[in-house]
Amino acid sequence: MKYLLAAALLATCAASAQPAGSGSKLPFVYTKWKQFTTENGLPNDHIFAVKSDGPRIWLGTENGLAMIDKASGKVKSWTEKDGLPWRVVTGIDVDKKTGDVWLALFGGGLARFSGGRFEHWHQMNSGLVNDVAYGVAVENDNVWVATTAGASRYNTVSREWSVFTEKNAPMEEIWNYGVNYRDGKVHLAVWGSGVLEYDVATNRWKDYLDPDGEMEIDLYRDDGIVHVITTQANYIDKVLWVSTYFGVCRYDGRNWRAFYNKDSGNPSDFNNNLRARSGNEAWFATDKGLGAIMDVATNTWVTYTRDPKSKTGKAVVTRDKTVLETVEMGLNLTHNYILAVDVEDNDIFIATSKGLAWGVGEGYYGGLRERPRALASNGRASK
Amino acid sequence: MRVRTIAVLAAGLVALLGMGGAAPKKPVYMGARACGQCHDGAGMGNQYSKWLTTKHSKAYAVLSLPESVEITKRSGLRGQPWKEPICLGCHSTASTAEDWEKDDAFRPEDGLQCESCHGPGSEYMSEEVMRNKAEAMKAGLRLPTEDTCLGCHLEKGSHTAVNPNSTVDIKQAIPRIAHPLTKPSQLRAPPAPRGGDFIGSSACGACHKGPDHGHQWDVWRRSDHARAWAVLSTADGRRIASEMKVTGDPQLSTQCLGCHAVGAEANEGVGCEACHGAGKKYATEAVMKDPAAAKAAGLRIPSTTGCNHCHRETHGKPFDAAKAWTKIAHPTKLPPPPAETRYKTPLNLTFRPHTAELWVTCEAGNVVAVIDTQSRRKTAEIAVGNAPTDVAFTPDGKRAFVSNRESDTVSVIDTGTRLVTSTLKVGDEPHGVLTDAQGRRLYVLNTSSNDIWVFDLATLKFVKTLSGGIGPWSLALSPDGRTIAVTSTFSNLTGFRKPLKSEITLIDTERSAVLDRPMVPGTNLMAGIAWHPSGRFALATMNRTKNLVPMTRLMQGWTITNGLAVLWADGTVDQVLLDQPGAGFSDATDVAISIDGRYALVTSSGTDRVAVVDCAKLERLLKSASKQDRETVIPNHLGKSADFLAGFVPTSTSPRGVTMAPDGRYAYVAGSLDDDLTVIDLKTLQPAGRISLEGPREITLQRKGERLFHNAKISFRRQFACHSCHPDGHVDGLAYDIEADGIGVSPVDNRTLRGIYDTAPFKWEGTNATLRRQCGPRLSVFFTRNLPFTNEELDALDYYITTIQRPPNRHHTPGEAYTPAQKRGKAIFERGTTNDGRVIPLDNRCVTCHMPPYYTSRKKFDVGTQQALDRQGTFDVPHLNNIYDSAPYLHNGMANTLEEIWTVFNPYDKHGVTNDMTKDQLNDLIEFVKTL
Repeated sequence: MKYLLAAALLATCAASAQPAGSGSKLPFVYTKWKQFTTENGLPNDHIFAVKSDGPRIWLGTENGLAMIDKASGKVKSWTEKDGLPWRVVTGIDVDKKTGDVWLALFGGGLARFSGGRFEHWHQMNSGLVNDVAYGVAVENDNVWVATTAGASRYNTVSREWSVFTEKNAPMEEIWNYGVNYRDGKVHLAVWGSGVLEYDVATNRWKDYLDPDGEMEIDLYRDDGIVHVITTQANYIDKVLWVSTYFGVCRYDGRNWRAFYNKDSGNPSDFNNNLRARSGNEAWFATDKGLGAIMDVATNTWVTYTRDPKSKTGKAVVTRDKTVLETVEMGLNLTHNYILAVDVEDNDIFIATSKGLAWGVGEGYYGGLRERPRALASNGRASK
Repeated sequence: MRVRTIAVLAAGLVALLGMGGAAPKKPVYMGARACGQCHDGAGMGNQYSKWLTTKHSKAYAVLSLPESVEITKRSGLRGQPWKEPICLGCHSTASTAEDWEKDDAFRPEDGLQCESCHGPGSEYMSEEVMRNKAEAMKAGLRLPTEDTCLGCHLEKGSHTAVNPNSTVDIKQAIPRIAHPLTKPSQLRAPPAPRGGDFIGSSACGACHKGPDHGHQWDVWRRSDHARAWAVLSTADGRRIASEMKVTGDPQLSTQCLGCHAVGAEANEGVGCEACHGAGKKYATEAVMKDPAAAKAAGLRIPSTTGCNHCHRETHGKPFDAAKAWTKIAHPTKLPPPPAETRYKTPLNLTFRPHTAELWVTCEAGNVVAVIDTQSRRKTAEIAVGNAPTDVAFTPDGKRAFVSNRESDTVSVIDTGTRLVTSTLKVGDEPHGVLTDAQGRRLYVLNTSSNDIWVFDLATLKFVKTLSGGIGPWSLALSPDGRTIAVTSTFSNLTGFRKPLKSEITLIDTERSAVLDRPMVPGTNLMAGIAWHPSGRFALATMNRTKNLVPMTRLMQGWTITNGLAVLWADGTVDQVLLDQPGAGFSDATDVAISIDGRYALVTSSGTDRVAVVDCAKLERLLKSASKQDRETVIPNHLGKSADFLAGFVPTSTSPRGVTMAPDGRYAYVAGSLDDDLTVIDLKTLQPAGRISLEGPREITLQRKGERLFHNAKISFRRQFACHSCHPDGHVDGLAYDIEADGIGVSPVDNRTLRGIYDTAPFKWEGTNATLRRQCGPRLSVFFTRNLPFTNEELDALDYYITTIQRPPNRHHTPGEAYTPAQKRGKAIFERGTTNDGRVIPLDNRCVTCHMPPYYTSRKKFDVGTQQALDRQGTFDVPHLNNIYDSAPYLHNGMANTLEEIWTVFNPYDKHGVTNDMTKDQLNDLIEFVKTL
């Protein structure tokens, strides 16, 4: 009897954790997908970086840069023989003002693609600190590069290079994985050094470290970043999202919240990357599929995976790990090993180790809504 | 994991311990007077007094002499000599130091002081340290060598040109300034300050300096009065004192001091207050501006009577008071300097929309001239910034925009009132300017920073920076208004001994974004550009420079051919030459196409002509040719121009900009070195008159030289002028294979002519001791292959070249603080030890070979850069002033960037010790080098 009482009590608690009225509301589910692989003309299927740029999608691959024209679906690509300074493109950002495309080159440094011309900066011909570049971000007139030996900042007007390492930043390790800029702050995701935040207005650094030290286990939940081995950080709506190889987390300026596979819809704790759409919605690139938290308050997720045997996909809507909906579809991801994600307007773009998946967000809405159960445009009705 | 944390902490602790406690102190300059506190008197070899009697002590004061102004001009410097860092580098002390590196009592006006040679003294100046030579050296004391002296005293062209007696025989000079310590040395208490209301001449000099005060302090400093006390320590001084029965040290004798030390302190000699009275009560500006009040407060107006008190028949010397009075005269107001001949030098010209007004930018005059083309008269001149280059208008013609190349600004002019209404700060060396068809955006080409700035015309706010080619120069809007085509005057840095290629940048005006960057192979110095009214193509002027083969090869038009790039609407490019067999069309500079599209007029600044291109014939020629002919034959064919040229029209000297009148009747050409415009009748294709811009009638030696510099008559077949390789007196960014010694043997990077007179010898191998040799026979033998300049021509050319000015440094303004990175870089540039504490040999430190103020020792060194085909490994140490603006680098241009000098071409630390440096340190060093 006491077990029944305990179970009832737990169920009551779980129900009370959800905001009133959210029980029947559901997130948007991407059911319409397009896929691009070498069969469509990509120079390589290993897509390390993706950036949606209005009518174009830029892709960084293991062997070249590609651009997909959204309207026609046509692919154009550049490899070293076309002037691309280095074959492996691991990071892409677009300067919205000029249209210039900045490329992080894994082993090749930094490049700018502008009007069909590649310019190349590397550690021998410039002040770039290291050629193993993982990420790139445009911040006003500056371009930041995350490299394996620190972060570099290049001022495109004064041509001055700045190097940020343990000497002048709270960088306990110098292996920079990710870099992002938004709303006056640059965030660096550093392997072993958590997240570093650089305030552009004050030129000051702030570090976010795991209060549990370098332990892989989360001793005290929601006490800070889940682990110091971080892979990406996004700042939006004054919320900091962080992905790590040991889970993901969110910081609203006051409280941290961790999300693990064991208690959320994220398909894995091994997160290669993330892309936040808002303070309430973020997409995580994992080794076991794509996780999207669609509503923080209710811990509502949509998990997109692909069955490698049937080559069909599905999306599973969960709330606190409870499955609310499963949408099976013929097409979604091109592979479950996700390396990068981008979001623009209603669409999402998923870079995988086997091509790009483009989720078309017709009717997209943020958060939760009352809606009929989803029907995949190219799949089966959900259960 | 915890183990690693502990390791990190341990490493930090080790690092802290390794620092050895407090960071080493940076020495600061204390000034000669601080040294003189001890280093004077017979027991110390009278060192301070001896210095006071040398020219070193008045080195700063001579900078206000008129001849110094002329020397400055001949050095390619634009400022006043008493403010120019280059002048101060040898005429003062601590010229490169920041304020914090100087003690409050330090005065640069004291000239070349002890610390110029011995190093900043704060850390070694105490008696305790100074009595231990090793300790003193460790604390920064330097013992100068002959090389130290030669850093300033190697013959300087600018100085000997103005004052032939300015050379110094260093072997004879060193004994003259020798100041050995007496051994055993003995300190002498300095004479007690006079006290009372005396404030000292330095206090007077704080205000009574500069041209507005007649350089009064300098006049005193140059006079014997300033040394009156110091001479008491000389042999003559002691002899006279002895004859006057003075016992003991004359510098302490009240009998001598009555006339030899009449200032606040004895060692200032006969200071200002000796004649004008103790200054404490009248020295304030408020009192001094009221003569009556100043007089009441004690200011005396001296007369020769006062002089006689000390000078009459003193020491048996006759005294002519009137003559002496004239000699030390120091009026507040100086006679006006001789009027400078300021030419106009028109460069570019544009019609104001909907009017017959032609606006002409005048580079040397710093004005825009407004010409009424109906009356063919100048109706107005509008003062703008320095070196105005191009002018553009809003489509309604109500506002004009003028790029000021030296000021890094664009002047916005209300065309109705002809007033400058605002000034926009832009990038480095703005050149072309243009508005779009709708009048929404303004595009500014920054030719030195290689970018294009976009402004919103409604608000005049900066919008964005677009990446340009190398040296964006001119721009033209397509007839449909959708595209702006921009020429780049320099070739891309294609790599060591790789063919050159230049970029045309195409901008989408709707998005203000770069659309495409068609490349023009084999070309450089692309300049003017114009669209055909059909929109089918645009024409851009260009040179084809064959720098990879020896200059002896005559094939395909010899070293430099000149012509047009034809940019088709689809982004493809053809090239045609305007040279003819036997007659070059040197330095094609600008192009304009007639309203009806029939003719294109192209200026040749090297041959004083305009070529008239029949556009239809040009199109036919290209479209009827095979692809291979268009790529390989026509771009190099001297005979093809006959197929499309309608003729040539002579112009005034060195034609630059050309434009078409809106009515289609006339074209106008800026005669840059005649200060006029040539009018061309488009019906007859003949000159139809000149319009004077009313420049000076006198043709100075400098102007004669400037004309020679820009004219191709000196070269075989008139194919190139000095300007062709040294545009704007600078570099074209190419390395040349000059001699007939085989392909690729000893190629040399082009070097700037800006401000080089005092950096002899010239050429990378240092083979030319003088400019005259460089520009005379050597030029003829190795470059122009024609009769050399005559002596008279050489005089003029030499004069002009020496006056080519160096632009202001864009990375640091003298007198302003360095950025943190620059400051760190300066310490690296001057460092004597590596990161791990090893002493860097003196001859392998940056600052040893690249010593200020020119940052060259003017010697040759082997820095390990010799390549297989180089004849030798020792090369002239280049000066570093504005070095950021003259890529590529090293003797053969093999380093594309400053970084590559050390990351690629210094593997064995022969070019300074750099391999111990971290990347951020190298970045800092480069940030500092860019400030020089």
